[in-house]
Amino acid sequence: MTATPMLDVTELPVRGPDDRRAYYALVGRLDAATSSQLERALNRALSATIVLDMSRLTYVSSSGLRVLLTARRKARERNGDVVLCGLTQNVRDVFNMVGFSALFTIRDSLDEAR
Amino acid sequence: MLITRRMSAPASATELPRFAEFAHRAAAEAGFDAKSMHRIELAVDEACSNIITHAYRGAPGEIVMETRAERGHRLTVILTDTGRPFDPEAVPMPVAGASLEDMQVGGLGLYLMRVTMDSVRFEFGVPGVGNRLTMTKAVQ
Repeated sequence: MTATPMLDVTELPVRGPDDRRAYYALVGRLDAATSSQLERALNRALSATIVLDMSRLTYVSSSGLRVLLTARRKARERNGDVVLCGLTQNVRDVFNMVGFSALFTIRDSLDEAR
Repeated sequence: MLITRRMSAPASATELPRFAEFAHRAAAEAGFDAKSMHRIELAVDEACSNIITHAYRGAPGEIVMETRAERGHRLTVILTDTGRPFDPEAVPMPVAGASLEDMQVGGLGLYLMRVTMDSVRFEFGVPGVGNRLTMTKAVQ
């Protein structure tokens, strides 16, 4: 681990069942130093539904949770959703502690989220 | 055996991984399992984020962290800052479950600190120190 805040947000060239979905991969740490990166990326998203591949997201703190919660609310205003997939053990643990596991649509893998 | 370590760094979000890494090492020295080490790391991250946001309000400042690892027994983490006193009782606690959608997300960090650690104690205006947060967790 280094003192450099690290999060990569990459839009994936994945095709879903329709063009109402956008796919992103999150790699690294989603904390107070990096959550604004995700927020900016999701604010640019025009698709109704946003699918986030979190299989390489090793860490999430409350700053990241807030961004996800806001993204979900906005997506639902567009009649869409935020679908999360491939949660790592640490991220799943945090989700369980705050009740996000019951709130969000969660899939085991990106394939299952298509 | 008690291992005491101390570090300080600027109150900046970019320093959060350093505090987390330091806490992670102390948790390992105390003998916690991987899940608990992550939870301790998270509590420290949230505590430092609160200091940056609420105590210093983005202004320059310093956070000092001391860890006391008692192998097989307990970890104590003490964070001190000289920012404005931050009253945690003023932060609404979110209620997990059905009301999540409507909850005040502002209290999530504090909620996570309280859930992950055995005790969380705030002291303000400590002479020669400033604000002091003491968190403990016992090795199960």
